[in-house]
Formats: sequence, C-alpha cells, structure tokens
Amino acid sequence: MAVFALRRLLSSIPTLLIVTLLVFAMVKLLPGDPARLILGQEATPQALAELRRSLGLDRSLPEQYLSWLASAVQLDFGTSLTDNSSVGRLIAQKLPVTLELALFAMLISMLISLPAGILSAVRRNTWIDRALTLFALSGISLPNFFLGILLIYLFSIRLAWIPASGYTSLLENPGRNLLLLLLPAITLGIGSAAVLTRYLRSSLSETLAQDYVRTAHAKGLPAGRVISKHALKNALIPFLTAFGLQLGGLLGGAVITEQIFSIPGFGRLLVDAVFTRDLPVIQAVVLVSAVAVFLVSFLVDLGYAAVDPRIRYH
Amino acid sequence: MRKPQILMAFLSAALLGAAHPASAQTLTVGLDADPPRLDPALSTALVDRQVMNQIFDKLVDLDANLKVIPALATSWKVTNGGLTYTFKLRSGVKFSDGTPLDAAAVKYGLDRNRTLEGSARKNELSSVKEVKVIDPQTVQLTLSQPYGPLLAVLTDRAGMIVSPTAAKKAGTDFQNNPVGSGPFTFVSRVRQDNITLNANKSYWGGVPKIDKLVYRPFPDGDVRYANLLSGAVQAITPIDPKDVSKLEQNPKFNVLNYPGIGFQGVWFNVTRPPFNNKNFRQAVAATIDREAIAKSIFYGTVTPAAGPFPPGTAAASSAITVQKPNLALAKQKLGGKPLSFTLLTTPGSVTTQLAQVYQAMFAQAGITAKIEQVEFGTLLDRADKQDYDALMLGWSGRPDPDGNIYDFFTTGGTNNQAGYSNKTVDGLLAKARAQNAMSARIATYNVALGTIISDTPYTWVYFQRNLVGSVKGLTGLKPIPDGILRFKDVDLK
Repeated sequence: MAVFALRRLLSSIPTLLIVTLLVFAMVKLLPGDPARLILGQEATPQALAELRRSLGLDRSLPEQYLSWLASAVQLDFGTSLTDNSSVGRLIAQKLPVTLELALFAMLISMLISLPAGILSAVRRNTWIDRALTLFALSGISLPNFFLGILLIYLFSIRLAWIPASGYTSLLENPGRNLLLLLLPAITLGIGSAAVLTRYLRSSLSETLAQDYVRTAHAKGLPAGRVISKHALKNALIPFLTAFGLQLGGLLGGAVITEQIFSIPGFGRLLVDAVFTRDLPVIQAVVLVSAVAVFLVSFLVDLGYAAVDPRIRYH
Repeated sequence: MRKPQILMAFLSAALLGAAHPASAQTLTVGLDADPPRLDPALSTALVDRQVMNQIFDKLVDLDANLKVIPALATSWKVTNGGLTYTFKLRSGVKFSDGTPLDAAAVKYGLDRNRTLEGSARKNELSSVKEVKVIDPQTVQLTLSQPYGPLLAVLTDRAGMIVSPTAAKKAGTDFQNNPVGSGPFTFVSRVRQDNITLNANKSYWGGVPKIDKLVYRPFPDGDVRYANLLSGAVQAITPIDPKDVSKLEQNPKFNVLNYPGIGFQGVWFNVTRPPFNNKNFRQAVAATIDREAIAKSIFYGTVTPAAGPFPPGTAAASSAITVQKPNLALAKQKLGGKPLSFTLLTTPGSVTTQLAQVYQAMFAQAGITAKIEQVEFGTLLDRADKQDYDALMLGWSGRPDPDGNIYDFFTTGGTNNQAGYSNKTVDGLLAKARAQNAMSARIATYNVALGTIISDTPYTWVYFQRNLVGSVKGLTGLKPIPDGILRFKDVDLK
C-alpha cells in the first residue's frame, strides 16, 4: 500500500509542474497591465514605469516563472500587490473559512442525498421517486446566486431569522459561526445533494437488481437489512467517488456563494484578486486549488486501493 | 425526542446571539468595494477615501456647497501672485499615537505625498516646489507656477496628514496600520470582510457620537441592498438605481440623493480611423438621447450632462446646454458614408445595458457599433495605447473644475484617452489653471469648452448622483458632493 501511495505521489510531480507552468502562463496571458490597474485613472507614465520595475514586470518571462516557482515551492507566494500583505498569510487566513464552508455544505449534502437517494431507488417509479427527481433536477439547475438571494430574501429579510451576511470564526463564537454559515452551506449543499441523489439512485437501483440481493430477499431477510447490509455497501463505492469530485467542485462553487453572503473566504480572495489584477494572489490561489483537487483525487485513489486490492497492482 | 430538543436549544441560542442588536453605538456601513489601500499617498481607488476620511484629518475640507472650509488649517493666505500659500494650523492637535500635529508633521505628510515611491499624488502636487515650516503653527507652500486648484486638491488625499512616527515605523506597510488625527482610529481589517474603526476619544473637534464604525464591502448591489433591509448594516453607498424608489417608499429607511462631481460619457480615438474624422464623432454624439438614458436605465437617478461640470459645482454654466438627439444632423454629418466601429466597455449589468442602448441609438442614424467588453484594467491599458475606436469611461470628479477638465483635454494629459491635441485648448486650460478668481476661470472654461464640444473627442452623457441608503435612526449625515460620508457628527438611535 505504501509503495502504491509513493508511486502515485511521484508520478504526479510532472503533472504538478505542468500545472504551475499553466497557472503562470494563464495569469501572464490575461490582458491588461497590473501596474495600470493599481495606479488607476490618474497614473503618470513615470509612475507606471517605476511600479512595473518594482513589481519585477520588466524581467523576462522565464526569469519571472523560475523565481516564482522557486519561492512557491518554499510556500512563499510573495506579497499582494494591493496592500503589500503576505500572500501566504492571506491564504492561511481564507482557506480554513472555505474549507469549513465546504465541509458544512458536504454534511448538508449528505444529509439530504443519502435518504433521498435510497428512497428514490427503493421506491423507483412511484410518486416519491418522481418528487425526488423533480427536487434533484431543480437542485442541479438552480444557479447558486439565485438560490442564495432567495434564501437571504426568505430567512433574512422576510423572517429576519438569520443575518444576511458576515462571518465569525468558529473559535470566537461557535453558535454564531454555524448560524452564519447555515444559508451559504445550504446554497452550496443543495446543488451537490441533487447530483449525489441521482448518483445514489442509479447505483443503488443497479445493485438492487443483482442476483445476490434477490437471494437475500428470497432467504426472507427483512427489506431494511437487505438494503443497508447488502446493497448499500456496494452502491456506496461509486457514490463516494462522486462525493470526492463534488468536494473539488464545492471549492469552485464557493466563489459565487462567498460573494453573495460576504464570507471572507478563498473564493472571494480570488474574485477580488482578479478584479484588482493582484497577480501573486491569483497565481497562489489557483495553484493551491489545483493542489487541493489533486490531493482529493489522491485520497480517493488511496481509498479505492484500500477497498479493492486489485487497483494497487495496476 | 432528545435530538430535536438539543437542536432547537442550540438553534435558539444561536439565534439569540445573532438577533441581539449591535450596540447602539456601532455603525456598520456597506461599501461597493473593499478599499485596497489605506494610505493617502498610495491610494488610487475612490472607495479608499470613504475610510481614510475618518482616519486622517486634511489641511482643509469641503462643505455641502463645495466651498473650501478650515480643517487642520484654521486660515490661509494666498500671496505672491498665487505662488505662496501660507496655512495657520490648529493648535493642540495630536495624532492618535500621541505624536503632536504641528507644522513639521504637515511638512512631512505633504512631502511624503509628493515624493514617496509609487505615490499617486505626485501629479496633483506637481506644482508644489517646496513646503516650509515657518513656526510650529505655520506652514508655507511655494509653487513653481500659479495653480488655482491647489486648495481643492488639499481637501482630498493630497491634503491628508499622516503621523510621521507611524509612517516612518511602518514603511510600506503603513496602509495596513494607518495612523492619523481624524475622528476615528484604525483598529483592524480583514480583507474582504471588514475594516473596523473606533471613535477617537481625544479628537480636537469633539468625540464622535458613535463608538465604533465598521465598513463592510458588498460588491454586488443586490447583496448590499439585502444587507441594509435585513439590518446587517445601517447604511449603504451607493444604492443601485433600480432600488432607489423601493427604498424611498420603505418607511424604515432614508435615502440621500444628491449631486456628485463626476461625469460619464464616451471617448473617441481621434488618432486613427474612423474617428480621426471630426464629422463622424459629431454624428455619433448627435444620436445619443441623454434624457432617455437618464430615465430608462438610471430611473432618473442621474442628470443628463452637457459638459464636465455638474450642476451645483462652481464652474457649471448655463451657457452650455445638454445636446438633444438629432438624427437629421447625424445623417448629414455622415454625408452618406457608412460608419461602423467597436465600442469598448467593461462588463456589468448597467454598462452592458447602456452599451446596448447606445448601439440602438447609433443604429437609428445607420451607424453600426460592435460592443466589446474587457475588464477595467484592460480598458485603461488599451485607452492608454490608443488601441480602440470608442470607449465608455467616466470620471469620479474633483471639487475644483480643473480636476474635471485639464488632464482630459490638454495635449498629452494623463487622462487624455482620445489622443486629442488642440493648441488653443491647451492655452486656455493652462490659463484657467493660473487664474485665481473663479468667475474668470469659468469664462475661460466656457471658451475652451466651445472648441472641445465642437471637436468632440469626448461626448458627455450623464452626471452621477450620490445615492446613500440608511436606517431611519441614523441622523447627522451631510450631503457633501464629493460622495464621501463623514461620520463625526452622525448619531444612531
């Protein structure tokens, strides 16, 4: 197992290097001049030249890439162009916020999709299944920004139960932290719950049609046990893969949700950085996200290998 | 049964914590962007000024009529043909870190704005040759040439005085630890979340009525509005035009709707075809129905524009009138020749709508415009390089008329995106700058504007207004046209 993990890890180094190259190139290909954006409408040509030099924008691209990579490997992502604060520190501040939101959203997504998916598969083609399918379809098609504004309207403006925005850290005030994250987590969680419900429905339906399930039924086992002990276990493997992929997607979806609910997380850091052409921040955020997605897929692979030993020898 | 009970208990505890109103003395204000740089020298974003105005005192300030009034300077004299400005300073003022605010500190602050590497104030203060300490309460500025707008410039970031002790200690990190002598002191900031200020208990002008001032950024207008409605913030600026009348009809809120000092319109690139042809520029300008735009897109929250000086500002003149749409004139100027071009703009719901309305208005005269959207930095960059046909770009405005015209239409001016050059206009704008009496300057501007409007490197379309929404209990907010909210005398019941 350890050999498999190590091999899997080593084989990903070239991929990660390509990712860094792409991240760097992407940011460089963005049109516009960061110096111009920082200095705004009033900039004089001298001030622009001065700033470009101090930002290192006058050096050659390979030079800029190598020096960026060398520091990034040491987790030094430079300083933000907007306010000179350390990019590493900014990310360390924002990442936990988004991770907490994503985990909360995943929890909500699980709480909805597990029962909904099972119910849908067991009661296939009944009115319950159709209602749940309708829920899943609307959940998939409702854009985050719409659902978010809808929830704010209902719970913050009409009912005045939950503040419309803001963030308090978990350590500072756990109750308020969870309350403030509730609506954003629902906004994020529903879309993923809808997808996962569909996944679970189809994989469980498939399993329920297998011979061994029929055998279990024939032996006279209660239906609940057949589903939980025999069918669900096997149906959950593809479901968990989907779950891993969803987690990566949630980090992306958080960009919009964080805007709507004014949560100072990773997504807003990225959006703001794009608007202010804060290149070091954009590069670092995209790189960290890429590494995060890579880590999730790595863990999913390890999980697979643990469940199914055949995978280790491929 | 137990689980739901625990959940209920937990939820109600959380709700209590949340529903508990902020203490009466905390005021939370929603802004449309996260202020990037809280350093008067380095700031280039309009929104920075909202926060910095509370932290820093300026040499002079503006009143609701845009008149320059005393602030740190209690009086001033302009002598030597407009070349010498002598300021008498208020005595006994201290920065919030205890450093005395005397003539030496003022000199340090002004010199820092003039010379700091990367300072965005260099252009505004370029006429200042020397800042001299005469005595601890007197500071004197010597100019290399007369510059009428100087006092107005000092009512903004260029005139903000930073604590020398703090600025020397913090170096380039001063923007994250700003120290001034203003009515509020900087406490902390979390990027994209909040900037928190406390009342300055030893403020020379009296202690503010609110204890704590929190700024929160909400880039999305709907979100900003929702946060005001839900009580998460007690004031927002700006309000989206579409929400203004809804908010005005809501008995729980107040709307402040007052003129601003900026303008919006369209640049034409005069350095290349098609708009190196003056007739084409005039044709396009003649198709625009400014009244219709103000009504339909902005719900009447903007004023149709005739030139760079909004009504209510010193240089506004009735001699220049809003251009009415005139399709016959447009067609005559086209002279039967086809005109098609690309209109460069930034994304955003209002700008997109506006660009489409322009497109439709141009089309009525047979002019074809293609819309191209790029983000703001790219737009500025392409404007600099004169790599565009026409583009939508406005200006937040300056209290002195010079700031709304000089750099836009003089040859090589920093904001002259059209590449426009006219010796007569250059001469007139330089002359206006050197004149001290406003009446003389207005006359000069009117002559210059006659030529500029006829040459049409730019066509003005509308003047923005300042739109502030607040809860009813918020009182004492003065409508200063520069759009900066001053919270020293504001009370929250």
